[in-house]
Amino acid sequence: MSTLVLWLVLVLSIGVFAAQVATRVRLILAAPNTFSFDHIGLRARRFLLDVIFQRQTIAERPAAGLAHALVFWGFVAFAGYTTTEFLDGLGIVDLTQTAWFAGYRLVLTGFAVAVLAGIGYLLVRRAFVRPVGLGTTVSAESIAIGLFIATLMVTFLLTYRLADESTAGRINWWVHAIVILAFLALIPASKHFHLLLSPITIFLKSPTLGHVRNLDFEKEEVGLETVKDLGSKMALDAFTCVECGRCQVNCPAWGAGKELNPKTIILQTQAALLAGDREARLAQAYTEKALWQCTTCGACENQCPVGIEHLPILIGARRGLVSNGDAPEYLGAVYNHLERRGNIWGLGYDQRQKFVESAALETFDPAQHDVLVWLGCAGAFEADYQKSMRSLFEILRARGIRFGVLAKERCTGDPAKRTGNEYMYQELATGNIADLKAAGPKKILTSCPHCVKTIGDDYRQFGYDVEIVHSAVFVDELLRGRPAKAATGDAPGGSVTFHDPCYLGRYAGKVDEPRRLLTQFGGDIAEPERNRENPFCCGAGGGLLFADKEEEPGTRISDVRFKQLRETGAGTVVTACPFCSIMLKGAHASAGAAGGDVQFVDLMTYVKDRL
Amino acid sequence: MILVIAEQRSGTLNRATWETVAAAQQLAAASGPAAEAIAIVALGSQIDGVAAELAAAQVSEVVTIDDPALALYTPDGYTAALQQVIAELAPTLVLLPHTYQTRDFAPKLAARLERALITDATAVKPGSSGPVFVRSMFQGKLTADVAAHGPEPHVVTFQIGAFRGDQAGRGPAPAPIRAIHVTIDAAAIRQTPEAPFQEAKQSVDLSQAERIVSVGRGIKGQEHLPLARQLADALGAELGASRPICDAGWLPMDRQVGSSGQTVAPKVYVALGISGAIQHLVGMKGSNVVVAINKDPDAPIFEIADYGIVGDLFEVVPAMIAALKT
Repeated sequence: MSTLVLWLVLVLSIGVFAAQVATRVRLILAAPNTFSFDHIGLRARRFLLDVIFQRQTIAERPAAGLAHALVFWGFVAFAGYTTTEFLDGLGIVDLTQTAWFAGYRLVLTGFAVAVLAGIGYLLVRRAFVRPVGLGTTVSAESIAIGLFIATLMVTFLLTYRLADESTAGRINWWVHAIVILAFLALIPASKHFHLLLSPITIFLKSPTLGHVRNLDFEKEEVGLETVKDLGSKMALDAFTCVECGRCQVNCPAWGAGKELNPKTIILQTQAALLAGDREARLAQAYTEKALWQCTTCGACENQCPVGIEHLPILIGARRGLVSNGDAPEYLGAVYNHLERRGNIWGLGYDQRQKFVESAALETFDPAQHDVLVWLGCAGAFEADYQKSMRSLFEILRARGIRFGVLAKERCTGDPAKRTGNEYMYQELATGNIADLKAAGPKKILTSCPHCVKTIGDDYRQFGYDVEIVHSAVFVDELLRGRPAKAATGDAPGGSVTFHDPCYLGRYAGKVDEPRRLLTQFGGDIAEPERNRENPFCCGAGGGLLFADKEEEPGTRISDVRFKQLRETGAGTVVTACPFCSIMLKGAHASAGAAGGDVQFVDLMTYVKDRL
Repeated sequence: MILVIAEQRSGTLNRATWETVAAAQQLAAASGPAAEAIAIVALGSQIDGVAAELAAAQVSEVVTIDDPALALYTPDGYTAALQQVIAELAPTLVLLPHTYQTRDFAPKLAARLERALITDATAVKPGSSGPVFVRSMFQGKLTADVAAHGPEPHVVTFQIGAFRGDQAGRGPAPAPIRAIHVTIDAAAIRQTPEAPFQEAKQSVDLSQAERIVSVGRGIKGQEHLPLARQLADALGAELGASRPICDAGWLPMDRQVGSSGQTVAPKVYVALGISGAIQHLVGMKGSNVVVAINKDPDAPIFEIADYGIVGDLFEVVPAMIAALKT
């Protein structure tokens, strides 16, 4: 009798589970295939670290992450137990009396205690501490699942106290079995679907941060316009989201009080898919305003413990808007500048030539030069940043490095790529690649982290593979062991703080090189909140360098970041990206007297003054 | 005879008309020892004021077409009226300023007359058979010399700013004003104009200002703004500011110049204590002449300034005001 009942409940539970899973799997399979298996070694490594060892989950929130890891490892450990008990309950085979099983149970006791401790902590956190990332309301479903897990462990531990064949023992067994089957039925439609999906999602996540596939214009791709344009990895991402809010609390736009919340974007994607209307416009699923607030700093994607890639969705949706002419007004001017002048400021080419002549730069020749220096829009045109470039040239010349520049450069296309103007990006990129191939450098050196990402990573999609290094990395290697002297001129010394550019610290992972240089040349580094691989963005990325007209009072990302840097108490802020420099100087100027006496200096100038 | 078509709206003359008068005078002077006569035609309803204003020009006459059907601009109405006037006056050239309104009806007028049209000319050169007009092509990458073929009159429009309106010659005595009557069939006008649209304008439109005095953080405090204002008044300039000044609330946001404010292109831009962050520079790089005053000789503003004064603005500006007042 009880065997039959268990069969019935099991079939019912699996039926509900399978139906819901089928809906989601069908949606994922119906989407254009964007799954990628390249760099299999890197993927395997990430799988080991982030799935098995729960690295990402623990790294950002050590206590909650460890509690989660205990629950996760317990789940894995219990798989054999659950299977054995069900095989017995269903009358298939009884292995519960074997010596092997007795030993296994003994081992599981330790896991059960650990799971109880973990889930207990997580329940208290969710129900009473209520961190902001988990949302404004307490999810009843999450509490129920937490209690389910606790019940499973308690009923397991009770088996030591209750005889198997006693009434209490039978009830205990049935409670355990029913809770498992109820849990199973709840999984697919809830955030607990991540139990099954996240190992796959983590494996399929691109090994490079912010990898956004080129559009293929031959196939008339225009980006994400409607639900049917969402790729299979995006659909998988949408159903994997565990709603932990790590993306949210690390997002600089959200942190500055803007509308954008990356978690909401993923949940809106999920809702749009489940709504079933493949022709529904994504601009309606998201809000346009939120889409244009993303700086593409990558914090969301980099922090996600379940392998979600936010940037392809955000940039894809921007592409959909741009292809319909729905870019914000400020981008119209930028696109004009890029199209007509090949640089973001819209300045005349003679200005770059003036700088090239005044800095006595030679045109790159592989027979004569060791490296090609890529000036970028800032280095070529921005008077303030040209001082940093001159510092770099001075360092290179002092160390006998022979370098040259291209006769002509276009913007790498970074602002076009990140704002979704793919056509313009590809025009700029292919033009630059042709020029670079003709020049034939083995190594490119630049002071712009955005150029590093675009040339070093994005250009690979066109088959152009070149080594490009940021000046912080190049100069660190060049000056290893060189003595420092006291600063010349009015250069500040003593306590400094370093603002990691997102595209250097987070994207390129170069966090030690700039610090080593600062320390070597007498800097006493005061670390700001949010540093190294997880900096808080200056607000310039993703085309937002040009958007401060749009920003509502009190929500400027640059102001928030400047305050964080100010709170270190350091008198000098060292930057290593032209755009960070512009944004932070602007925030300092706007802060007026409250901004205090802070000096801004680019890393290259800092080093040059002390060499 | 050269005919200039004036542009007016609600009795206010478009200043670009004077530029076209200057172009006509240059063409007339180059036409030979017996300089060609110039007539200006103004059309609309109740335009006596406009006609009187135009009569100051050194031209042989000002012709008016005053008709209620022309009170508001319509391409059909203007074309019908101008076709008759051109037939009556038989000019060799018909010149217009290259305004939005001109862009709207000039091609239609030229087609109706079956005559050549040259648009957006920036200069005039003498040619072997009549004048040659210079216009830019391919977004300014090339300039082309264009001469009109076919029978006269040829229709030419001039880019705004290509000629200097203030250098149009004024006559010793007002030119005679003559009204010409034309018949306009109101029923043949297919367009029904709405009341002119008035954009809810920012209270200050710096983009139209000819001179701007802009203040930056070097002004130090709100209490020093009157100094900048005095300089602006002495120059007949509008007051602008960089972002920190407006962020601090010392001046309203609509005074802000730069990528986060207005984009301006005045004839003279005076930057007081502005270091010249690129975000500011891109908003004023179109200025004709940039005068920068800053204490810091390394300030980026000096990279684009035509005249730079390294010094304390609290010393320099009073001296400038004094010099302007003498």
